[in-house]
This record gives sequence, structure tokens and C-alpha cells, in this order.
Amino acid sequence: MIFSSLPVYYVDMLGSMTMIMLSFMCLVKVRGLKKQDPDNIIWTYLQWVCYALAVFAISRSAGHLLKQLLLFSGHRVAWDRIRPFSGAVNTFMFMVVASVTIFFERIWKVYQQILVDKQALQDAHEELLYLNQNLEKLVSKRTEALAFSEHKYRRIFEVSKDMILVTEADGRIVEINPVGYEMLGYQGANTSPVGHFLQNHFADQQDWRRLSRMLGREGSCASVEVDVKRKDGSRFKTLFSGSLDHDPAQNQEITHFVVKDIERRKSMEQQMAQADKLASIGQLAAGIAHEINNPLGIIQGYTQLLLRGEKSGGERHDDLKTIEKHVRSCKLIVEDLLNFARSSDPKKEVIYLHKVVDDVLSFIQHHCDLGRIEIVRDYIEDIPTVLLDEKKIKQVFINLIMNAIDAVGQDGTITLATDYDATNGQVFVRVADTGYGIQEKNLSRIFDPFFTTKPTGEATGLGLSVSYGIVKNHGGNISVQSKPGLGATFTVSLPASPKPLESM
Amino acid sequence: MNDYRPPRKAWISAAAAIVVLWPSPALATQGHGGIEGVYIHQLAHLFFLLSMAILIYRLRERALVKKKGWRYIQYAALFLILWNIDAFTVHLLDDQLRLIRLTRMDAWQLKLTAPANGYLVRVYYLAKLDHLLCVPALWFLYLGLKHLLADVDRTMAEERQP
Repeated sequence: MIFSSLPVYYVDMLGSMTMIMLSFMCLVKVRGLKKQDPDNIIWTYLQWVCYALAVFAISRSAGHLLKQLLLFSGHRVAWDRIRPFSGAVNTFMFMVVASVTIFFERIWKVYQQILVDKQALQDAHEELLYLNQNLEKLVSKRTEALAFSEHKYRRIFEVSKDMILVTEADGRIVEINPVGYEMLGYQGANTSPVGHFLQNHFADQQDWRRLSRMLGREGSCASVEVDVKRKDGSRFKTLFSGSLDHDPAQNQEITHFVVKDIERRKSMEQQMAQADKLASIGQLAAGIAHEINNPLGIIQGYTQLLLRGEKSGGERHDDLKTIEKHVRSCKLIVEDLLNFARSSDPKKEVIYLHKVVDDVLSFIQHHCDLGRIEIVRDYIEDIPTVLLDEKKIKQVFINLIMNAIDAVGQDGTITLATDYDATNGQVFVRVADTGYGIQEKNLSRIFDPFFTTKPTGEATGLGLSVSYGIVKNHGGNISVQSKPGLGATFTVSLPASPKPLESM
Repeated sequence: MNDYRPPRKAWISAAAAIVVLWPSPALATQGHGGIEGVYIHQLAHLFFLLSMAILIYRLRERALVKKKGWRYIQYAALFLILWNIDAFTVHLLDDQLRLIRLTRMDAWQLKLTAPANGYLVRVYYLAKLDHLLCVPALWFLYLGLKHLLADVDRTMAEERQP
């Protein structure tokens, strides 16, 4: 088949020249890339590709041009000699291009890693630069923050109402806050609890062993109830919370403890339980008293009716008188029970408490032989008036003072003291004696109706119950502190009257 | 029963002695005449084609073709693949299988003859115009580099701005 050779010549000649031109244009561009970023390995890679392609384009195009010229001019023999060399160079060059190209993936990975490392270096450099420029300011700021933090936690340590202490693993106290000094009884003493063993302040060593086991097992303990012994031997109830820690300075195990004094709370709980118990007994007593009071009234009424028809001195008259006497006694007991149960409203009037106490003392001194008993009055000067049912409150003080006289016996001191707490608006009257005191087991039962330590027939056991009922009915409170052999102190607290006596 | 076995060293020594004493004719260096040059040229085309295919695969795998510069380089690789197929076909018909016979009638006419049919001659004639594939390949490479350079220039300018 015959073909025109012109298209082949033109495409070959023009194409070869264009190839050379384009390969040089590519080299110019890739050199531009290298110039912008000489360290970029991708541009280096592309530069190698372009160099190889340029050499390939030159060798191939030059070969083609030469071929066309030699063939066109009739020098086929010359071309046949050059042809193997030209073909070999072409083969070699596009193998080089292919070999370089095939490394693209590896080069790209290296490039990415370089970018990551470069960014990391840049970040580190910027951070170092920032630290270098702001080191003094940063140190100052951090020191200030540390000082503030130290001050804050030091204040918590110092002003805490709970004992905070740090001990070594063996229980030796390393640090303790001011409240700790106070709680353990070291306040005002020359000695310090620091260096002493904490377990020596445990009333029961079993508690310390239990606490140590708990800390060893769980690393912490929370709200463990412990009886703590003060320096003087007195005890109080506490709640221990603690946790183990490591002291990096001394490289040893330490324990942090927070100790809460719950003695007052326990006492309050006991008082509330006592008040609940007395309130229940009061309800029961009031019910019984009401039921008995009516039949007693009828018995008394009929007895008095029968007495009218009897001559005095007769046997029946005496028998009826005996019945009347015992009915009256029963009625008095019932009345006392009703007073304890607070069933009747007191007839309150504004009175001056010192006068009431003095009246009671005069009454007792008039009716009893006080012998060698010394009565001490320790009144405060400006005691406010109180709103009281005078008759009933006198009964309270008579009961308390008579009990004190019984406790003191022939020789002793009874102190009557008054006090005023303006903050809570409470007036206090304390009746203290130096008698035989009250045993601890009886302290919780002392206000129970019919409870008495006196022999049968000497007391009804209603005196303190009635006093308790009357004081409670006035919105006050009555409490007792006593130790066997060291006497007892009864404290009556009453709300102060808002109206002064002069204005009445 | 005799359990004696000659030692391994004895066998090796005997074999070496036979080889040295009774050698067979050997051609120490292989010759490369004839058609070997064509084969190596064809293999080089296949290698070039494969490397371009790998390049396209890597460019697409790394999503570099989303950028205009690398997309043009991808096109350049594609045209070089086509050029390699074209050149491989020409060499196959012409130098390797010798299916086409080319005779220059005069300065302006070529006579192409093929033993089988006429369409092979037309394919050969068109395939001889291989610059229609390799020139666009280099043109796309140039465009790709141009865009990459423009991107770099723009990035540098942005970095220089305060």
C-alpha cells in the first residue's frame, strides 16, 4: 500500500523539535521551583525526572532529525551506522526516566516525614523562644501562684475547726494545726504534741489497730469513731478521716488526718433522746392523772360529806379523816404529774429572778435547819427580767435547793449563781452543791417520774420531773453536770423577757 | 555387614578432580547479536509504561490530583503510557515480528506491505506518528510544573505578608 511520507516527515521533524523545546521549558520551571525552596526533596526529585526527560528528548529527537535528514539526502549507509547507537542511548535514557519515576512513593514519604520533623522543630523553637523571652515573668507568675496557693492551704490548716495533722507511718506526729493543740490539751502548755505518737492519744488501742489496718488495706479511712484522750486524761469522742500519702522530700510514707470533735453532738443527741423519752412519759402520766383525778375528787367529796355527820373524836370520824388525808396526798401526786406533763398553761408575769431565788432561800431557811451548810450567792449585776409563773418557778428552785441540801448533808456549800447570755437571750440559774454527786448511770434517768435514789417513803421521785416539766413549759431547759463525790450542778436556762421591769 | 561410608570430603574431592581433568567445552561470555537489542528496547518500553502507571496510582492514592499541578503531571504520565504502547506496537510489527515491509518509493511516497491484511498497514502508518502522543505528554508536564511553581510563589507571598 502506498502512503504519503509527508505527514510522517512533518510530525517527526516538528515533534522532535517541540520535544526538545518543551523539555527545556520544563527544566526552566523546575529550576524555578528549586530556587524557591532549594531543600524541598520533591522539587529535587522532579528536577531529576526533568533532566532525564530532557536528555531522553534530546537524544531521541536528535536521532529522529538526523535520520530524516540522512534518509532524505540519500545517506542511508551513514544512518545505518548511527542507528544502533541512537537506539541504545534512547533505551538507556527512558530506563533512567522510568527508574527515577518509580521512586516517587519513597520520596513522598521522606518528604512528609521531613515536614513533620520540620514542624516539630519549628514548634520547639517557638516554645524555646517564648520561654527565653518570658522566663522571668513566668517564674514570677508561678511563684506568685504558689505563694497564693500556699497561703490558702495554710489558712485552711490554721483556721480549721477540726484537728488536721500529719503523721509518719509509725504514728509519730509531724505537723498539727492550732485546733489540734487545743483538742489534745496542749494549748498553753510548754510541750508540743509534735514528735509524740498519735496512738498515745487513743483511749482504746484497739481503735488505733483498726484504723492502721484500714489505712494499710484501703489507703484511706473515713469517719471512724474514736475516743481520744487529752493530755490531762479526759476523753472525748471524735471522727477520724485519713489517707496515706508519700512525702517526696523525706521519701517516706505519711498519713494525713482530719479529726472532728463530735462530743457536743453526741451530748445533744443524748439530750434529745432524753427529751423525747420524758415527753412520752409526760403524755402517759397526763392521761393517767386525768383518769385518776376525777374518782379522787368524788372520793374526797363523799368523805367530806360523811365527815359532816360524824362527831369529832369518834372512830368513824378518824377513819374518814385518814381517807381524806390520803386522798389529798394522791391529789397532790396527780397535780405533780400534771405539772410534769405541762398540761396547764403557766400564768406568766414579768419578774426579777434574783428576788424569786432570794424568796425561795428565805422560805427554806425559815422552815429548815441548814446547820453548817454555807449558802453562796453569785449573782450577776445586770440580769434582765423574765416572764414566768412565779409560783411554779419557785417550786422548781425549792426542789433544786432541797435536793442540794439533801446531797450536801450536814456540812458543805450550796452556790446559787446567775448568768446572762445576751446573744441567745437566755438567763441562767445554777444550783451547785458539794454533795455526793450523781452516779453516771443515773444521769439519764434523773428527770424520770418516780425515779429516786432515796429510800422508799422518803421521796416520791416527782420533784425533778415536775421541775423539768415547769421549766420546759416556760420555754427553758434544765440540765445537770455531776461526778460522783464531786457534787452536782443543776442549770436552769430561761428566756429573758423583752420588757424591762421598770416599764411594767 | 560392612558399615563403612567414605567421608563427605572424599566425594567432593573426587568430583572436583573429574571436572578439572576432563573438562567439557564452555562459552564463558554470551554473545548479544541478532534481535536481543530489540527485546531489551521493548522491555525498556514496558518498564517505562509500568513506572508511569505506578506514578498515576500513587498520585491518585495520595489525592495529589486534587491540585492542578499534579493533575497535569498525571495527564503527562497517561500520554507517556499511550506513547509507550504506540512505540511498542511499531517495534513489534517492524523490528520484532517483521510483519511490515517499508520501501521508500521516492522522497514523498512510502510503500508499506504486510503479508496478512491491509488494516495492519494502516495501523502501522498511524502508529509511526508517535510524536502526536509524546509531545502532549511533555506539554502536560510543563503545565503541571508551571502550576506547581505558581502555587509555591503564592504560598511564599502569603508567608511574607505580616
